[in-house]
Amino acid sequence: MSAQRAVPVAYPFLNPAGDSGLGEELSADLAAASLTLARRFAAGATLWCLAPSWEPHARHVAVEFVHPVIVGKKALPAVALTGPNLVSTVRVSAQPGDVVIAVASADDPAVRSVMRRAPAWGITTLWIGSGARPAAGAADHVLWLDDPDPRIPATGGFVLLYHLLWELTHVCFEHPGLLTSPAPQCADEVCITCSDEGRLGEVIGIERGGQALVRTAAGEESVATVLVELVRPGDLLLIHAGMAISKVDEEAGR
Amino acid sequence: MTGPTPGSLPLRAAEATAFLYPFLDAEEWDQDSLLADLAASARAKARESASLRRSTLQASAPLLEAAATEMAHRLAAGGRIFTFGNGGSSTDATTLADLFASPPPAAPHAAKLTTRALPAWSLTADQAVLTALGNDVGFELVFARQLIARAKPGDIAIAMSTSGNSKDLAAAFREARRRSMYTIGFAGYDGGEFATSEDVDVCFVVRSQSVHRVQESQALLGYHLWAAVHEHLAVAGEH
Repeated sequence: MSAQRAVPVAYPFLNPAGDSGLGEELSADLAAASLTLARRFAAGATLWCLAPSWEPHARHVAVEFVHPVIVGKKALPAVALTGPNLVSTVRVSAQPGDVVIAVASADDPAVRSVMRRAPAWGITTLWIGSGARPAAGAADHVLWLDDPDPRIPATGGFVLLYHLLWELTHVCFEHPGLLTSPAPQCADEVCITCSDEGRLGEVIGIERGGQALVRTAAGEESVATVLVELVRPGDLLLIHAGMAISKVDEEAGR
Repeated sequence: MTGPTPGSLPLRAAEATAFLYPFLDAEEWDQDSLLADLAASARAKARESASLRRSTLQASAPLLEAAATEMAHRLAAGGRIFTFGNGGSSTDATTLADLFASPPPAAPHAAKLTTRALPAWSLTADQAVLTALGNDVGFELVFARQLIARAKPGDIAIAMSTSGNSKDLAAAFREARRRSMYTIGFAGYDGGEFATSEDVDVCFVVRSQSVHRVQESQALLGYHLWAAVHEHLAVAGEH
């Protein structure tokens, strides 16, 4: 077939002759991501869709959920966010309990910034991409095609992943008993997860007397900043007992 | 889920051995069973998608060659590409326009390609134009009117659809025909009206009843069309 002459053989989406489907790991990741997404939707979440380098993918994900192709499936709140100031757009849009899905490479600066801030905003994150993977734990669910070919985004590989995400999420809705999210993990007064080791907060504004107003997953609060250097709005702080104990480096993991 | 449920085995196994693990409650087993079901379903659907992509590429090879030849001829002579579609297909049409409009990336195993980006636009890109036309002349004409304003003989119209029956796309193809554009339709199912329309020069049909599987194959077809066009332009450039 002459039309396939220019196509490298390395990747199944370019050359499906060698495509044996999804691997065990990616299919398990998709399953877990779908159950999480269904649970968040059941609890009232909105899905915010980002794809800074390939905006059509963000719009495609949103329209899948808002206007299902299968008649009778529930319409769910999903919105594509685009434009030059993506981090601030997500910041003002996403509420605690919401979900952000990004279709982006691991080095996309806006998506990396959103993913770093997610714990302070109280949102759940999904990241679809290809090539080099994001650092471990960069998002709650990473759905990744490992092929390094830069043309993957235009071959339908990502489309398949988010179609499957939509389909599996709706399968979860057929099991309402499993849609209740597990109970919050920190019922105790002293909890290693959120007290001893600190919570992430994002600085909203500077207050008088060495205090700063920060946004955390639990809402807004005023914290003392005497232990850290000069803080500015947008900085990420590790907070413990009403005190900012350190700044979180821009390029550090979550 | 339709069809057999591949995850039913783990559930039965769970029931059979539950008495061995009294500390695990039924709900945990249910969740594990659902996750196993979901993962098996994802693998089955991905296999179905791959199989459809294979058969579609094979069946479309002669048409793809014909379309790429004519497109390369027109592009070399100054022709331009306009893509359009509705809903999810509009985003796939935009991805295709973006692909044509970007310089071919330097892939490590790239075949010999021209390095030039090509003039291509998605007709859903401008909300002001879309809503102005939708509001003033009706949605059916949102693409046809843009072609009236912009298209010349020698240009190329590409519409992506799953049904092949959308009225706004048919109206755009009628207008494209009047303007001597080359017209390429992407459709699913049996091709719908695209397959028999005299306004459509080449109709790629992805023979599936699933909108999602159709779109996945169409994306790959579009990619191969782009690659074949560049190959023809490279060959033409040598002579």
